[in-house]
Amino acid sequence: MFPYARGPMTTRPTPRPKSIWHAINPVRMIGDLSETRYWMYLLLLPSALLITAVVLYPTVYGMQMSFREMRLNRPDLGTGFVGLKHYERMINDPIFWLSLKNTAVWVTFSIILEFAIGLIAALALHRNLPGTRILAVMILLPYFLPNVVAGHMWALMLDPRLGVINDLLFKVGLIDGYRAWFAEPGTAMAAAIVVEAWHSFPFFTLLILAGLKGIPTDLYKAASIDGASALAQLRLITLPMLKTIIAAAVILRVIGLVNSPDLLLVLTSGGPGRSTQVLSLYAFQTAYKDFNFGYAGALSVVMFVLLMLFAWAYIRLSRVNQE
Amino acid sequence: MQRSRLWDGITYAVLIFLAFICVAPILWTFLTSIKYETDIVTREMVYWPTRFTFDHYVKLWNQSSYPILVANSLVVTSVTVAICLLTGTIASYAFSRFQFRGRTELMLAYLVVRMFPAVLMIIPLFVVMRQVGLLDSRIGLAIAYTSFLLPLFVWMMKGFFDAAPKELESAARIDGSTRLGAMLRIVMPIARNGVLATCIFVAIAAWNEFLFALMLTTSQGSRTWPVGLQLMVGEFQLPWGMLAAGGMISILPVVVLFALVQRAMVAGIAAGAVKG
Repeated sequence: MFPYARGPMTTRPTPRPKSIWHAINPVRMIGDLSETRYWMYLLLLPSALLITAVVLYPTVYGMQMSFREMRLNRPDLGTGFVGLKHYERMINDPIFWLSLKNTAVWVTFSIILEFAIGLIAALALHRNLPGTRILAVMILLPYFLPNVVAGHMWALMLDPRLGVINDLLFKVGLIDGYRAWFAEPGTAMAAAIVVEAWHSFPFFTLLILAGLKGIPTDLYKAASIDGASALAQLRLITLPMLKTIIAAAVILRVIGLVNSPDLLLVLTSGGPGRSTQVLSLYAFQTAYKDFNFGYAGALSVVMFVLLMLFAWAYIRLSRVNQE
Repeated sequence: MQRSRLWDGITYAVLIFLAFICVAPILWTFLTSIKYETDIVTREMVYWPTRFTFDHYVKLWNQSSYPILVANSLVVTSVTVAICLLTGTIASYAFSRFQFRGRTELMLAYLVVRMFPAVLMIIPLFVVMRQVGLLDSRIGLAIAYTSFLLPLFVWMMKGFFDAAPKELESAARIDGSTRLGAMLRIVMPIARNGVLATCIFVAIAAWNEFLFALMLTTSQGSRTWPVGLQLMVGEFQLPWGMLAAGGMISILPVVVLFALVQRAMVAGIAAGAVKG
């Protein structure tokens, strides 16, 4: 920061004749470079270049692709500029609107479930009772498991013929016969949301737990002296103190839920019918089944814009930035 | 006293229940992977079989391409971690230690790129990688992974650097060390555990990744295990035993690594997300 600060203070030893090695020694050269005022920019350069190449360039490319004709299976159509054609098609595309609705359902219910379970788990773990450390590891584990394996584990347990959940529910008497959870339009989305909640609720637990550690315990002592019940303490101290962290967690999770079709791809591929077709899955299938890259690009751009709008509105509404 | 006893009981009940829900699918999958086929496909559910077998594992390892898939995944994961480590560590160090023009904007940019839809990036990446000959290659896939893992790495690592005391560094500088020397000899050893936790987090994410791999690889030379496992579903008539065995093999390293460094990793993820 202050390259000259130590200049006059240090008494340098009498300069010795410098060898050639001193002049070309790469470690010394980088060391000298690290004393210049451009050092931090040099440190940032490699990652910035990489992100420009693999994120920014493809994204800009993708956006301009959405204004072009680009079908891999129809090279005869060329890759000419078609203006808003794809966007016009989208407005009249019933599948787009259905996917949008499904995305809303998928995201809303997953977030509610994940937040609720995540909060309960975090509050319970935060009490730090003896022996709960091992339980914490078990509870956080699903978040780190691959989507593909999580999907297959649950597909196996919910299988219409061999599924253990069918068997248990049947024996307890909650269902009259084995059900094909992922094959019935009425239950496919709900079943997928359960799997998603199982997989990702630990993300909320993890963040809320970190937030709870930052709340001074004096607040609770004062509140209980004033006679506040546990529920009142949760509502009046814990949740307000956790506002920023919950907002961050919700935004990150919504981004994940909207953007990645992985789990639904494994569980249902959008079926049965189109009852679990979400926007990201529709864009994916438009690109890799129909090879219509232009329209898939347009769908992704709309998804991105909606996501940005959501993040902006959510931050404004939860007034996180006022603190 | 009475009330806190009650709450303790409720806490234990809730935690044990949740832990059971979290682990049960894994245990059931493991049980399935060591059952005989006739105990998996039955009229009457077999909860605790009378005999066990490792046939599914042997068959998966010897008769399918699973070893190749796992090897590909290992290469892709290592290259991804190496790229993130080389470029990400110095970037997060710069964010943590220096004030400079454009710092806030740049940090925000590293956060916002995480919002870009994967599909929007994958399609152009597909086109570009085909042009430069990186499509269907392990290096190409690893480079594609850095698109979402490098920003994550930088944010998480910055948290660990922020937590490392700055005084030792200042002392080294006063003793005549260059900034480079202070970074390599003083800060890096202190932040070692953080680097390890961040690398393992990125490694797990790269190892698990499915969508990019599905789109950017087409042949066995570069296909990773999640894609191979998914393709198995179409190839045979739902070979549950083998699917379960494949799943168990591939989550084993994840579970072991997570159990080893979970505390540092969990702290890092939280710090990276919160400050953002």
